[in-house]
Amino acid sequence: MPGRQLLMTFPVTASSHTLADYRARGGYATLAKALAEMQPQDITKEVTASGILGHGGAAFPAGRKWSVITLDDGQPHYLCANADEGEPGTFKDRWILEHAPHLLVESMLITSYALQVRNAFVYIRGEFDLPYRRLAGAVEEAYEAGLLGERIFGSAFACDLVVYRGAGSYVCGEASGLLSSLEGKRGYPRNRPPRLTVKGLYQRPTVVNNVETLANVTGIVAHGAAEFRKVGTAKSPGTQLVSISGHILRPGVYEVEYGYPLKEFLYEDCGGPLEGTQIKCIVPGGISTKVLTAAECEKVTYDHASFEAAGSGLGSGGMIVIAEGTCMVRLLQVLLRFYHHESCGQCTPCREGMGWLHRIIDGIVDGKGRPEDIDSLYRISQLNDGTTICGMGDAAGYATVGILNKYRDEFEYFIEHGRSKFGGNLEIPVHA
Amino acid sequence: MPEIFINGQSVMAADNQTVMEAAQANGFFIPYFCWHPKLSVAGNCRICAVQVEGRSWVEIACNLPVTKGLRVLTDSELVRAHRKATMQFVTLNHPVDCGICDKAGECSLQDYHFEYNGSPSVSTVPKVQATKFHDLSERIVLDNERCILCSRCVRFTHEISKSCALGIKNRGDSSLVRAAEDGGFDADPYSDNVIDICPVGALLSRPFLYKARVWYLKPTPSVCPGCARGCTVNLWHRKPEWHLRALDPRQNRSIARVTPLENPAVNGPWICNKGRDLARIFERPRADQAMLKGKPIDLATATAAAHSLIAAAKHPVALLSSWASNEELASFKAHLGERFASFLKTDWAPAVGEPVEDDFLIRRDKNPNTAAILALFPPAVDSEPELGPETDLVLIWGEGFDFARLPAKAKIVFLNAYLAPENGHADVFLPISIQTERPGHYTNFQGVVSAFEPCFAKLPSIADAEALFAALGATAEGAP
Repeated sequence: MPGRQLLMTFPVTASSHTLADYRARGGYATLAKALAEMQPQDITKEVTASGILGHGGAAFPAGRKWSVITLDDGQPHYLCANADEGEPGTFKDRWILEHAPHLLVESMLITSYALQVRNAFVYIRGEFDLPYRRLAGAVEEAYEAGLLGERIFGSAFACDLVVYRGAGSYVCGEASGLLSSLEGKRGYPRNRPPRLTVKGLYQRPTVVNNVETLANVTGIVAHGAAEFRKVGTAKSPGTQLVSISGHILRPGVYEVEYGYPLKEFLYEDCGGPLEGTQIKCIVPGGISTKVLTAAECEKVTYDHASFEAAGSGLGSGGMIVIAEGTCMVRLLQVLLRFYHHESCGQCTPCREGMGWLHRIIDGIVDGKGRPEDIDSLYRISQLNDGTTICGMGDAAGYATVGILNKYRDEFEYFIEHGRSKFGGNLEIPVHA
Repeated sequence: MPEIFINGQSVMAADNQTVMEAAQANGFFIPYFCWHPKLSVAGNCRICAVQVEGRSWVEIACNLPVTKGLRVLTDSELVRAHRKATMQFVTLNHPVDCGICDKAGECSLQDYHFEYNGSPSVSTVPKVQATKFHDLSERIVLDNERCILCSRCVRFTHEISKSCALGIKNRGDSSLVRAAEDGGFDADPYSDNVIDICPVGALLSRPFLYKARVWYLKPTPSVCPGCARGCTVNLWHRKPEWHLRALDPRQNRSIARVTPLENPAVNGPWICNKGRDLARIFERPRADQAMLKGKPIDLATATAAAHSLIAAAKHPVALLSSWASNEELASFKAHLGERFASFLKTDWAPAVGEPVEDDFLIRRDKNPNTAAILALFPPAVDSEPELGPETDLVLIWGEGFDFARLPAKAKIVFLNAYLAPENGHADVFLPISIQTERPGHYTNFQGVVSAFEPCFAKLPSIADAEALFAALGATAEGAP
């Protein structure tokens, strides 16, 4: 158990996602308490005091985002849960959607009350099947039980929740692209300013939060910010759901308390690398974060400050373990193919740069690489840093630079010899 | 009115302006592809980057609001490096086929390449290939390889022409501008404006395709006579110094294309497709021979014959051309206004299938100068012409009148610029010049007066109506 738990507090059974089970665990009591005893501002204050950081990847303080909304500005506000979990390696929100959909619904209702939202949305990625059915079922159950709609718990508070399915685009997971898609437009991210909390969905103030961020709201409101802050570190309070995959013995979703030693998590909780292999590096939080070598993994603890000091970030909690013997050139090729495929094509540097990166790495893997290609990869990555509307160009650059910085020798070997240093492996044969 | 500083110089910006707008208004140039003053901000080309002093990154000027005391640099080392890099991205998959591109010579990409990049491509990977000669509509052909996906054309159809007929499909560097499948772009009467606002040679006019290099052409300011809006336009024709000596000499007297001439009071930077096709109106077969009852005769004799008829007439009626210029109408009024009972003639009625009227530019009245006739002549002019049996002379000026309505015994003096069967039926036929052969003004339905200038010299055998009326008036007055 990697530290204390805030979300994975119940045994997963065949019925643990239903309203009956959720209520038996004390579900919707917090909503009832909030509606009866708390003012909307009190909830925002509590969330701000908890210091919870966004769990979608950017780690922006949720309370600060909420505080931008002016309650009596006379316009409708919107809340949207970002369940477009598209970052490669990340599948943590799926756990919440599959096993605790009512936790999300209750949290969204509390948030809607805090931000005076009449219409809330969940933008769920199109590829999610069971999570969608579970969530849609939960929303239906909540409507039947009178927990959604008019006069919730007999109060004047009314809120409707719409579950909207995306069509499988990475960029639609970016908050403004998500809202464009939700509006029925092409999923192009929007220029800031204006911020989404000023002009978001249908040009109204909108809060877009990650599913896991929202799921924590119920706990924060139920037990108070002070209790929440007792978990995790001072700068990274709470826990993070980590989805771990790759060359690891026990892949899956784990709830990791911030500040927990990474080495312990990898080697004890997850059972270490596949038998007969050693960890070469890890992708710490979705492929857009820079890789950490095995040596770097020894020292860090699982929190934002420690990972940033190590030159990376927690990202979206999608951890990929890469064993010794994996070809990093092929790995980068896979990543860049993904970025090329997913670039929305709106801004020049990303639209042209992603294809350029992809074609260069394809050339290297085809044995047609040239020594100056490595410089080109660096250059294109750097030219995408902060020059585009959304962060996708930057992310591709981080991934590329992160791998190039640490495994440049493999690229030079590949270019010089026209073949991989490690036989071009991405999958590692296991000798059990 | 926040004060901002561009390259250290103090500039008074308007509230709610962006840095791009403030820079434009104060004479600072920031390059742009996707930005357009009449369209929403897309911010996708990234070429308009500027640096806020003290920051180590660039921001796009088109989406950077002015704030009091903002200090931006438009030409810092960082900005120059960013522009150069962006130009390399833009040209990465661009074919750079300026030699065979109609846009060459007036292309932003071409200009910026020389201004901000100037070095050969640093890429050795093959360019992405895309569709060439894709017909977006019957009028517009799209070269997807040249397209830089600035989305101006898409925004134009959504925000200005409201046909919503264009969109972008696919993603990343496979993105393609495409027309809606319901044919809405064919029906969009303003579609050709996307050719002008395309910053590169991606959207090309089918009629103008490979017709001329733009540096051999010159624009002459003119006014579209297609409707009462009177949009100002540029008529592009061959420069006199580049006249063709071989090939078909008619090319020296033809209108190669028509583009809008920006005029905030009337049409802004837009015109409709009818205005693009003015050559179809002006280049119909011309009448260049004066006639007496269908018999060719020289212009002076015909003018004298017309004078005699006018002098002898007891109840002459004039049908005034709504395609006449203000000057011609004034000349008629000064010299012949007393002699004639004058009526407005509607030269052109809406053609079959032509958009009759909309809430943007197109007006129901398909004539340019109705307003001037109504202003110059008494109100009765607007009524049905009184062609009673006592009418013994009808002066018909211009097209659009049914000769069957004429009183049987009346003499006919007919002024027309184009070949028509009626020309030979008139007692006196006088060929007159058209708009592209003389200077003048039109008054549009709002009362805005716009000037047009001649593109070509008129033939000596063709009369100029303004001078003709002076001659007819002078001889009429001098007669006993």
